[in-house]
Amino acid sequence: MVKKTLFALMCSALLFPSDRNIVFAETVGVTGYDVMVMEDERPDGDDRTSVLKMTLVNKRGSKRIREVSSYSKDYGKDKKSVMVFDRPADVKGTAFLSWEYDDPSREDDKWLYMPAMKKVRRISGASKNEYFMGSDFTYDDMGDRHVDEDTHTLQGEEAVGEQMCWKIESIPVDPGDMYTRKVLWVSKEENMILKAEYYDKDGLLKVYRVVDFGKEGGFWTVRHSEMENIVRNHKTVMEFSAMRYDTGLGDKLFRVSSIQRGRIH
Amino acid sequence: MNWQKKLLQALVVAVGYLPFTGSASAADESSWMEWVEVDGWVEGARSVRNRSPHDALVSRVWGRLKLSSEVDDVYAHLSVDAQKNWRVEDETGIDLHEIWAEYTAEGWDVRVGRQVIIWGKADGVQITDIVSPPDYTEFITRDLEEIRLPVDAVMFRLLGDEVDVELIWIPVFRAAVQPSADNPWALEQDIPDDVRVMVSPVDEPETSLENSEIALKVSAFWSGLDVAVSVFHTWDDNPVMYRTITGSDEGEVEIHFSPEHRRMTVFGLEFSRPLSDFVFRGEAAYYLGRFFEPRSITGNPLEKNALQWLGGVDWTPGNDWSVITQLTGTAVMNHESEMAAEKHAMSATLHVSKKLMRQTLTLSNMLYYDIGEQDFFDQIKAEYAVRDDLHLFTGVDVFGGGGNSFGRYRDNSQIWVKAKYSF
Repeated sequence: MVKKTLFALMCSALLFPSDRNIVFAETVGVTGYDVMVMEDERPDGDDRTSVLKMTLVNKRGSKRIREVSSYSKDYGKDKKSVMVFDRPADVKGTAFLSWEYDDPSREDDKWLYMPAMKKVRRISGASKNEYFMGSDFTYDDMGDRHVDEDTHTLQGEEAVGEQMCWKIESIPVDPGDMYTRKVLWVSKEENMILKAEYYDKDGLLKVYRVVDFGKEGGFWTVRHSEMENIVRNHKTVMEFSAMRYDTGLGDKLFRVSSIQRGRIH
Repeated sequence: MNWQKKLLQALVVAVGYLPFTGSASAADESSWMEWVEVDGWVEGARSVRNRSPHDALVSRVWGRLKLSSEVDDVYAHLSVDAQKNWRVEDETGIDLHEIWAEYTAEGWDVRVGRQVIIWGKADGVQITDIVSPPDYTEFITRDLEEIRLPVDAVMFRLLGDEVDVELIWIPVFRAAVQPSADNPWALEQDIPDDVRVMVSPVDEPETSLENSEIALKVSAFWSGLDVAVSVFHTWDDNPVMYRTITGSDEGEVEIHFSPEHRRMTVFGLEFSRPLSDFVFRGEAAYYLGRFFEPRSITGNPLEKNALQWLGGVDWTPGNDWSVITQLTGTAVMNHESEMAAEKHAMSATLHVSKKLMRQTLTLSNMLYYDIGEQDFFDQIKAEYAVRDDLHLFTGVDVFGGGGNSFGRYRDNSQIWVKAKYSF
C-alpha cells in the first residue's frame, strides 16, 4: 500500500531525522500498528511541489505518458492539493483541487476543471477504487488512507535490496474493500514503504516497488517507483522531478478560482 | 469582418511579442517559439442518415490552433478555427475563436477579449449557462463545448478564499446561431397554402454603451457546498418573431415577420453538494421579460416571466462507472392558452458512461427525454484512444417521438464516425 497522497508520493518518503526512529525500531514489542503510524506520520515539510511523469506500459510494451504538476500544503492536520495535467495534449490543463481532512468522518472536498468544458465541477469524494488516469494506481493507493482503516500485523523483518524492512500484513476493516489484504515492506531506517503486494479474492494482483529514492531538500523522497499488475501483465512507472519543499506556497493556489484558469499562477 | 481580421492580426503579433516585453535578456537567449505554447486539435467527422436517402448529415474536417504565452502576471491566448464542411458550406472557412489577455493580481484578475464564458452546474443542459450564446448549426449533436460561441467581453473577478465575485461586461451583442438554408437541421415550418410569408432582416442591437450586456455573479465554494447567485441584464440570443398580418385581394393572408432581439434580465441560482458517491446539483434561472411563440402562426409573441429549473444527481459508484440523471423544467408565469409553450414543460436526461481497457475505451449513452411531448434524443457513443493523441469515435444519434421538440428531427437520426488528433 502506498499511504501518502499522490502529492506526498511525489514529494515525501521522509525519514525522521531524529533519534526517534531508531528508538522506535529498537523498542522491544513494536507492533505492526506502530510501524504504520510511524510511516503515516513521517514529516514531509509544510508544502511541496513536484512534477510526476507517469508511464503506462501495456503487455505489448507500448507506452502512454501522463505528466502532472503538483502542489500541496498542510493546514494543521488537513491538506490542500492541486494537480494540473501537462500531458497528454487532449487533457492538458485538466486540474484537480482537493481539500483533504484528517477527520475520517469529514468528507474531502474535490473539484475538477476540464478545459474543454471550461468550468469547474464538484466531484464526489468517494470512488477511491477507481484507477487514476488509466494507471495501475487507484485513488485509494495514492490517497491518505487512515491507519485505522486496516488492521496491521507485524510478520517479521526482511530485506528489500539493501534496506532492512519491517514486513507488515494489512487487512482492510471494510470487507467490501477491493483488496482482501496487503503485504508491505517498510524500511526500518527511512520509514518508507519500499515494496507492497496487493491481494484480491483471486490472489496476488499488483506489486509496488520503489526503484530509486534519496534525500531532496533535506527529506527522504521517492524518485522512481513502479506498480505492476501481475494478472493483466501491465505496469505503471512513476518518475518524480523538480521536487521542492517548504517554498512558502500561497493559499490562493488552493482556491477554485486558481484551477479555473487551467494553469497555476 | 474587417475589424476582426485586423484584431486577429494585431493579437497574433501581440502573442508573439508578449514574451519579449518581460525580460530582454531572457528573450535574447531563446526564440519566441519557446515562449509561445502551441497546441490544438484536428478532427474529421462523417455521418450517414439512418433513413432514406442515407445521405451525410455531417461531413467536415475541423481544426483548432491555440497559441498562448505567459509573462509575469499577463497571460495571452489566441485560438483559430479552420473548417472544411462539405455538408454546410457556410461553415467552411477560417474563424477567430478566442483571443484574450488576462492580468492576474493579488486578490483579483481581469480577462479582456473574445472568450467563451461558461456558467452553471448542469450536464448537457443550459439553464444559467446563457452568457455565451449557443451554436445550433448541428442542433445538439455536437459536443457541448463546441455549442458555445465566444463573446467579446471584459471579465473582472474579485477572488477571496471561499467567495468570488465576477463582473462581466459584453459591449458587443452576439446572437445564437440557428441552422439555415441547406443545413439539414433547418426544418421548415408548416405553413398553410393560403398564407404567404415574408421575413425582414433580423434587427440586432447596435454596439453602444446602453446596449451592453452586463452580468454579476457571486460564487461561494465552501466545504461540502458550492453556491452561486447571479444577475444578467442581457438580450435574448434568439430574435422575437413579431408578425404583421395583411390580407391580399386574392384572399391570401400575408404574414410579415420582423425578427427583433429583445432585452431581458435573468436571475440565477446554482448549487452542488457532494455526499458519499453522489453529487447533488441544482440550477434555476428566473427570466424577467422573455418572449414566447404563439400557438397560431398569425398570433404575436407574448412577453412573460418564466422560471427554468434543474435538479440532478451524479453517481460515481466506482470501477469507472458514471451515472448522471437530471430533471429540468420551464414554468411560464401568467400562462395564456394561445401560447405554444406549455404552462410547465418538463424533461429529463440520463447520462451513463463506463471506461474499459485501462480507460482507453469509453462507452456512453446520453438520453434526453421530453416528458410532455414524449420525444427523445439518444446519443450512444464509443470512444477509443488508439494513442494518447489519437482518439476514434463512433456513435448513433436517435431522434424519436411524434412531438415538436426532438421528434421533429426523427428523419435526422444518424450513425457517425469521428477521428480526433490532439497536439
